[in-house]
Amino acid sequence: MTQMTNRRLFLKRMVALSSLSLSSCGWRLANVSTNYTNSGQSDSLSIYTWSQYTDPELLSTFTTQTGIKVLADIYDSNDVMLAKLQAGGIATYSIIYPSDYMVQKMVEKNLLTEINHQHLIGLENLFPQFQNPGYDPNNRYSIPFNWGTTGLLYNSEKLTTPPEDWEYLWRNQDKLYKRMTLLNDVREVMGATLKMLGYSYNSQNEMEIKQAYKKLSSLKPAIAAFDTDAWQNQILAGDLLLAMCYSADGIKISKENAKLKYVIPRSGSSLWTDTIVIPKTANNLPGAYSWINLLLKPDIAAGISKRLNIATPNRAGFEQLPNQIQNNTNLFPPQAILDKCEPVTPIGKLEEVYERYWTQLLA
Amino acid sequence: MSIQSPNSPTESPGNIAKKVKFNHYTSEFLQPLALLAPSGIWLLLLLLLPTLIIFELSLVKDIAPGDIVNPDGIQNYIRILEPLYLQVIFNSLLFAIKTTIICLILGFPVAYWIAQMAPKRWRNLLLLGFVLPLWTSSLLRSYAWITILRPTGLLNSLLTSLGLPALELLNRNPAVLIGMSYSLLPYMVLVLYASLEKLDQQLLEAAADLGANPVQTFWRVTVPQVFPGIAAGSLLVFITALGDFIDPELLGGASSMTAARLVYNQFLGATQNWGFGSALSMTLILVVSIAIALVIKFGEATPKK
Repeated sequence: MTQMTNRRLFLKRMVALSSLSLSSCGWRLANVSTNYTNSGQSDSLSIYTWSQYTDPELLSTFTTQTGIKVLADIYDSNDVMLAKLQAGGIATYSIIYPSDYMVQKMVEKNLLTEINHQHLIGLENLFPQFQNPGYDPNNRYSIPFNWGTTGLLYNSEKLTTPPEDWEYLWRNQDKLYKRMTLLNDVREVMGATLKMLGYSYNSQNEMEIKQAYKKLSSLKPAIAAFDTDAWQNQILAGDLLLAMCYSADGIKISKENAKLKYVIPRSGSSLWTDTIVIPKTANNLPGAYSWINLLLKPDIAAGISKRLNIATPNRAGFEQLPNQIQNNTNLFPPQAILDKCEPVTPIGKLEEVYERYWTQLLA
Repeated sequence: MSIQSPNSPTESPGNIAKKVKFNHYTSEFLQPLALLAPSGIWLLLLLLLPTLIIFELSLVKDIAPGDIVNPDGIQNYIRILEPLYLQVIFNSLLFAIKTTIICLILGFPVAYWIAQMAPKRWRNLLLLGFVLPLWTSSLLRSYAWITILRPTGLLNSLLTSLGLPALELLNRNPAVLIGMSYSLLPYMVLVLYASLEKLDQQLLEAAADLGANPVQTFWRVTVPQVFPGIAAGSLLVFITALGDFIDPELLGGASSMTAARLVYNQFLGATQNWGFGSALSMTLILVVSIAIALVIKFGEATPKK
């Protein structure tokens, strides 16, 4: 008898205690302190970057020039980077490489320090269109690092009629059944479909978005996977015939296998810019500025452009490149194609609408 | 009747009563407390408190990191009742049930053989050999399955060299099932082995003596005896398969979305809707609790008739 009462009593008490803890409202979720005092760690620099944006040569050049050791961590999705940063990321990164629309998001969330242009050397080396970009007027919070387009990488040996537009995917669903991938990015995939239907990449019209979703769901059964990175090995192995990709990755893979060709669809695609930012929680500010200054040097910019297929926004660096690279239309598309491309811009509340359709598409 | 205290045989009844009360207090309260406190505190801080936090988050409609938490209703749970998300949860349940059945069918013979038919001194070694894959990272094992099941992978190379048609398995449901069953089979075998080891051979002999053929013996004597093991093993595999993220994500591609992938998208995807992700997690916890309750109620050994 006492046993039963004890257990019931215990459970009752636990429930009462639990509800007590629930009544604590008004606490801030994942509140990362933004006034991080510079702990003055001047001998190491932590950077958070994409897999393609650094290589050992660049890191050792930096270390020999400044004496600062660089620790690079890799991510493959802007959203994962943002989530990890907000949840109080593991290491205190001093340099991060977000894309253009992500810079705007991070500025709104108060995550970035303003870059003091007095400390920078060589900012005037950038092309005019990158001196005052739309996503970050006057480069207050970010410095452009790489720009490019989104397009299709296809196996020219197996696909006798090369794709010229996004339409190709729908027309050749049977041939490409489970042999094509799309990017794992809602704005890129929905935007490409919207562009194909004749609307803007950043459409804010619910009817247009719904139409794009319907078109995509008719394609969904034929898609092997939505991914931004793993397709590279698969297309090289021959498992995939077509992959939607960023120009940087596309060019890198076509260098490894000349039969894989990159093409920018005729109806246009997105124009992205990857940037360098300094988060508020950076723990080596001087080191961060040294890093940016290194990358603004024309010879360094030309070097990484050659080695890592970076489309450098640095005019002085561009002029140092050999003609072959300067005329690479995939790396530096002509103005005619660029006119048809749009950058991905934030759309405020409508992101929710895109998200709902995306979840519906994936489910 | 006076209580004999071993230390001082001549104490006043008042002191003796106090001592008895103290001993009683110690053994009834302090001792269990001291033994249970470490793991109790661990469970409280690392299991109960996070679950309560998840529950509180699930009551907020649209919350992203940096917002203030103010529970304002059960809209997230109502949203889960939409047919789209019910379909996702149903997919997860279907995968989990299929994986459990496959593991049961594949694991029972192995466990039976190791427990009953293998030479006694080999048993531990055989069990160790079967459990060895668990020593490697489960992520690596899933990647290995990608290499095997790819359209131009090991399996298809083998089939085409034998003249058989190639199998399209990757980025589809069969690949997910293969991956999950492979990962969870050792657990099933271990639990079944523990139960089958205790199977009394004499009962089987008695059944044979009474005229039962092997099939009847199996269904009417072996299975009821081993039922707690089957229930425990199935529960273990079911729970793990329900929350599995790696195999559907790597091997499933664009095919059916499971609850774990949906939760991942809410937390680390472009939507930063931690509230909805928390509500989905609570739903999964609820399903698992129901499964455990069912096993506790019905998973007892059926009494011998």
